[in-house]
Amino acid sequence: MRRGMVIDLEKCIGCRSCAVACKQHNAQPAGSWWNRVVTPGSDRHLTASAPENLYFLPIHCQHCQNAPCVKVCPVGATYQTDDGTVLIDFERCIGCRYCMAACPYGVRQFNWESSKDGIKRYEYQNGYTYGYPEPFRLDNRLVYSPVRIKGIVEKCHFCAHYQARGLDPACVRACPGKARHVGDLDDPDSRVSQMIRQMNGFTLLPEKGTRPNVYYLPPKRKEV
Amino acid sequence: MGVSKKVSLTVFSLIMAAGALMWLIQLWRGLILTDMNNAYSWGLYVSALAFFVGNAAGGLVLSSMIYLFGVTALKPFARIGALCAFANVAAAMLIVLSDLGRPFRVLNLLLHPQIMSPLVWDVIVLNLYAGLSLIYLYLLMLPDLAARTGFLNKIALPVPDPAGFSDRWAKRLAPFSLVAAVSIHVVTAWIFATQGARGWWHTAVMAPDFVAAALASGTAVVMLVAVLCYGTADKFQNAFRIMAIFIATSFFIHLFLMYNDFVIHAWYGSDHAKEALAITLQEYGLAHAFEVLAPLAGVVLLLNARVRQTMSGIMAGCLLIIAGIFVHRILLMPAAFNQMPLTLAPLGSQHTLWSVPIASGRYVPPADTFVSHHSYFPTLVEIMIFAGVLSFVCALILVAVHKLPVVKEG
Ligand code: SF4
Ligand code: SF4
Ligand code: SF4
Repeated sequence: MRRGMVIDLEKCIGCRSCAVACKQHNAQPAGSWWNRVVTPGSDRHLTASAPENLYFLPIHCQHCQNAPCVKVCPVGATYQTDDGTVLIDFERCIGCRYCMAACPYGVRQFNWESSKDGIKRYEYQNGYTYGYPEPFRLDNRLVYSPVRIKGIVEKCHFCAHYQARGLDPACVRACPGKARHVGDLDDPDSRVSQMIRQMNGFTLLPEKGTRPNVYYLPPKRKEV
Repeated sequence: MGVSKKVSLTVFSLIMAAGALMWLIQLWRGLILTDMNNAYSWGLYVSALAFFVGNAAGGLVLSSMIYLFGVTALKPFARIGALCAFANVAAAMLIVLSDLGRPFRVLNLLLHPQIMSPLVWDVIVLNLYAGLSLIYLYLLMLPDLAARTGFLNKIALPVPDPAGFSDRWAKRLAPFSLVAAVSIHVVTAWIFATQGARGWWHTAVMAPDFVAAALASGTAVVMLVAVLCYGTADKFQNAFRIMAIFIATSFFIHLFLMYNDFVIHAWYGSDHAKEALAITLQEYGLAHAFEVLAPLAGVVLLLNARVRQTMSGIMAGCLLIIAGIFVHRILLMPAAFNQMPLTLAPLGSQHTLWSVPIASGRYVPPADTFVSHHSYFPTLVEIMIFAGVLSFVCALILVAVHKLPVVKEG
């Protein structure tokens, strides 16, 4: 079993619901975005780089098989589970940020300050809280916690907490365009494997040799 | 201790205290007090790690020149070499501590070391080298320790012929210290050079260049301390000449390796390489000019026999070289972090490469949420912590020279 994701760029309407769902479900601190949706070529969020040239690219941890972040981590805080998911042990990380320098996709987020200070900076109204309310442990390692620890690195954990309850990741469930699919990349007959085969699935930065478990399907047409 | 030494020590102590205070504040508030962000995640602290590791090279140069290659003229400075090596490796480890988000978890390095990580290798070799430098210093001081009274006499090994013993063991240890010393530079360079994500670092020239730059600045550090301790008497002129030639050679090899890399990448002209070079040569053009011209001026000074007869001349030369290599270490970061690794050609566009911005991780109302460029400049907190560690090096050397038989009298 190799857990992977396919994101169909033809179906993505650029609504950024996945980024919002990810941020909210995972109680991300101020300024942190595990998941971002960019408009390639544009200066600002939703503007076209050139007339008739507009498509959207959601980016989060690619759950690389040859993951540089796993290899650089001096204490094994970043690690790979049996199904290929790359997770971070919140209690192990020493905050050296070596993994941030190593990750080619810019998806790792550091907690520069305490959650409390961040929320104050965001000026959220008193008592507003969001996110999956319980800490989540996998093999006794803390891979999610609603209250964040200052000074550690975090990123997409493939919604390990929901997977444990048999649910798809928040971004997959929240996508109104149905652009996201998860499944077993080792199984050639799985839906995701078939999509990759039939619709020219590609990965980001193949030249870096990271072998991501997140695939993209190219958009056939652009928005104008 | 003379008045000037007392004043310097007081100043160093004050700066150290200020640095420690800043570190406590940083511990309390978090690394938000630095100018780093998610896209630019290493700054002054990690540059300073490279700088201090490089400065520690002096100990190796002296011990191997004397005991492996028989350059006995340098013998009076051997103890200073070992002392400077220890002080700088200790500083390297201290400054990394201030870069950690959770420094108290540093014990995890012992509990769960992950052997694939170059950072683990670096911690191992740095500790090894620190230990070896201390042993070396002790061995070299042994003949004089026995002659002293009190505590120093008590820690002296009771051997029949301390001078001979010290010489014999220094010779035996020299090859090991050479290996340990080369490996601290190579492994520190590997921390960067292994990172395929960062074109600026991912080059085979990084490790040899790191060694070359380290030999220049490390020897300059020893020469600086030596001239402060011994002055410029005639009997040391030969030693200063040898060190000056060594510094010059190392620096020119460093220049060659650096520009060799530039030429190869500039000639092929890939967009990534051009971007990295533009950051270093244009955006940071002044800094680049300094990293080349300052040590060059230093080398020109030191190679002049008349300059070597003056205290101020040698000091100026050494300081120029050390400052130049420091700026070289600072320039490790901008071209690595301001060139986004995730750069793509948007589908359907011609001739454009586009850098995918990264969430900055810090909420600042007027600033962008997603950034692909950051003009990093260390904050006061970062500068004070660095200054504190630098003062620690100076204070440690000053106190050791005063209390221990580091400088041979007469
Ligand atoms: S995308 Fe980055 S953080 Fe995720 S596995 Fe790959 S290297 Fe690691
Ligand atoms: S910041 Fe944490 S997860 Fe990243 S390399 Fe360092 S210890 Fe590992
Ligand atoms: S899988 Fe979960 S954590 Fe990862 S991007 Fe989607 S919502 Fe965020």
